[in-house]
Amino acid sequence: MRLIAASTGSFPRIGDGSQEQQLRKALASLDRQEIDLSGLKAVEEEVTREAIALQAVAGVDLLTDGHIRWHDAVSHVMGKLQGVQVGPLSRFFDTNTYYRQPIVQEKIVWQRPLVLDEFLFAQRNAPKPVKPVLTGPCTLARLSVNQAYGNTDELMEAIGIVIAEEVKALAEAGAAVIQIDEPSLLQNPQDIARLRPLLEAANRCKGTSELALYTYFGDAAPVCDELQQLPVDILGLDFTYSTNLVEILTGSGIGKKLGLGLVDGRNTRMETEADIFPVLEALSALPGVDDCYLNPSCGLEYLPKERAVAKLKNMVGLRDKFIGGKHA
Amino acid sequence: MPRIKLEQLGLYLPLLPTTTVGSLPKPDYLLTARAQYARGAMEYAKLKELEEQATRFWIEKQDEIGLDVLVDGEMYRGDMVAYFAETMKGFQTGKLVRSYGNRYYRKPVIAGAVEWCNPITLDWWRYAQSLTQKPVKGMLTGPYTVMDWSFNEYYANRREAAVAIAREIRKEVEALVDAGAKIIQIDEPAISTRVDELDLAREVMEMVTDGIAAYFICHICYGDFLPVYRHMLSLSVDNLDLETCRRTHILEDYIASNRFDKDISYGVVDVHSHKIESEQTIEASIRHALTLFDKESIWIGPDCGLKTRNSEESIAKLTNIVKAVSNIRREI
Repeated sequence: MRLIAASTGSFPRIGDGSQEQQLRKALASLDRQEIDLSGLKAVEEEVTREAIALQAVAGVDLLTDGHIRWHDAVSHVMGKLQGVQVGPLSRFFDTNTYYRQPIVQEKIVWQRPLVLDEFLFAQRNAPKPVKPVLTGPCTLARLSVNQAYGNTDELMEAIGIVIAEEVKALAEAGAAVIQIDEPSLLQNPQDIARLRPLLEAANRCKGTSELALYTYFGDAAPVCDELQQLPVDILGLDFTYSTNLVEILTGSGIGKKLGLGLVDGRNTRMETEADIFPVLEALSALPGVDDCYLNPSCGLEYLPKERAVAKLKNMVGLRDKFIGGKHA
Repeated sequence: MPRIKLEQLGLYLPLLPTTTVGSLPKPDYLLTARAQYARGAMEYAKLKELEEQATRFWIEKQDEIGLDVLVDGEMYRGDMVAYFAETMKGFQTGKLVRSYGNRYYRKPVIAGAVEWCNPITLDWWRYAQSLTQKPVKGMLTGPYTVMDWSFNEYYANRREAAVAIAREIRKEVEALVDAGAKIIQIDEPAISTRVDELDLAREVMEMVTDGIAAYFICHICYGDFLPVYRHMLSLSVDNLDLETCRRTHILEDYIASNRFDKDISYGVVDVHSHKIESEQTIEASIRHALTLFDKESIWIGPDCGLKTRNSEESIAKLTNIVKAVSNIRREI
């Protein structure tokens, strides 16, 4: 089993030092109209470059842009669609963070790239491959207020079409891996069947890119087999909520590349060999296991910046030790 | 039933008692002072003097507006979890993490056994209560939320951490009640986020309130209430303070078929909006609440703490709440 160290998505926007607060200060300056949007963009780009550099220095093989420009994972995508008004704050799953709830007032229309420009910028400024991340149609539909479609399924379908278009653009721009995040699947497992045709559409658009589906913020064990049946190349699983995910995987076998969310993106406690090696040993012993990604359980914006960097370095160190040791 | 409990505690409140959820905006002089204190440029005694000045202002202002049950306004607190963590053994001050938009807070780290050593909010409650004849709520953050909004590097799992914190927070409740507090609000905004842990949330709330002679309110906000509705009703508190301003409709069907058998503190103004809700808008919300709940069981207030608004906005929102309630009281 080849283990690729990867980021999962977001990265902390600021740190505790006064030199690490530039984005916070820039947003406050924008509020006070002391700078304009071009001034904010320059700071966002600087902070994005730093987030990329920190991942690379930590030894991560597959990077993200850190979602530095995102207000949140929902309104950042939905807010770019015609027919959507960005509404009030709501809690984002079980985190102590909030998203602006999109209100779908009319049938949605794609107007401009959702994350393509951000991907192109990141890839230009990265020493290693960058993975663009899109929030998926089920999560976006579940977290929106639907005033324009007959039911949630219809809204999912409409968003799915837009996401597939974006996958096509990202693939044509050279993304080797394109990640779709669907945390809501674990709370709404009935959506897994609804997601299938939407992923099939995205699959038809992906060219030679690999399509990754990442789930997190819940126990994937009860639906692990169903998730493995979905038409994606890589399946990302959050191991921090589950007590028996490894047993489920070893029992049923692994049919595709996995994103192993073994590094807790929500807690500062550093992982040890005892936390990670038994899982890697159990999975690598299975027949037919191909490349796997070792990554945080979710985006790292829930951690302080210094701890996010330390977690990535620790993850890479553990990966190297596992590969270089008796486990090779 | 809870109204009888209030009367047994010696509290005779009008119909539709008005209150706020907890935090009120800090005046500029206090924000500046807190920053100076954080940099080591101000002594604590001076900071405390200014915190008292701001507390006095808000108690007098709430009295002047005509609210029925007051809060101290939390002039001495930064974050609702970090404040408790800073004052209990076992926690370390955390580093900055984002809450939303451009707001960040220092998320505490549980690094050792949690221990309540001294009263945390008691002196502030005593000070605020000494300034008014009206009841002042004791204001605490609940054990489930303190656990959930802290990093845990010490306890083996989330349950152990929550149980340990509950044991210690109960001591603060006992101290407040011993000092004369009759209404205690326990904020548990995290409670609505994990259906799989609702039994734990209920267990630790019971550890905090069981057998204590006080009227307990639990504030829950910005979560998906539907999946947790029935479980919320089984919390060992008298009143659920819900962020209902923008989304009563979500609960309506459920309330119709599952009786809401506690008092409710019903949020009628949005604390994340600069817009000042008119008396008429608030009256409409209250009338709507009266169609859903028994009039004896309804309290009226904002959706959440008002610290996100400035003083002028907060005063205007609270003033309109009191006027609207006064108008409605004449109708019922």
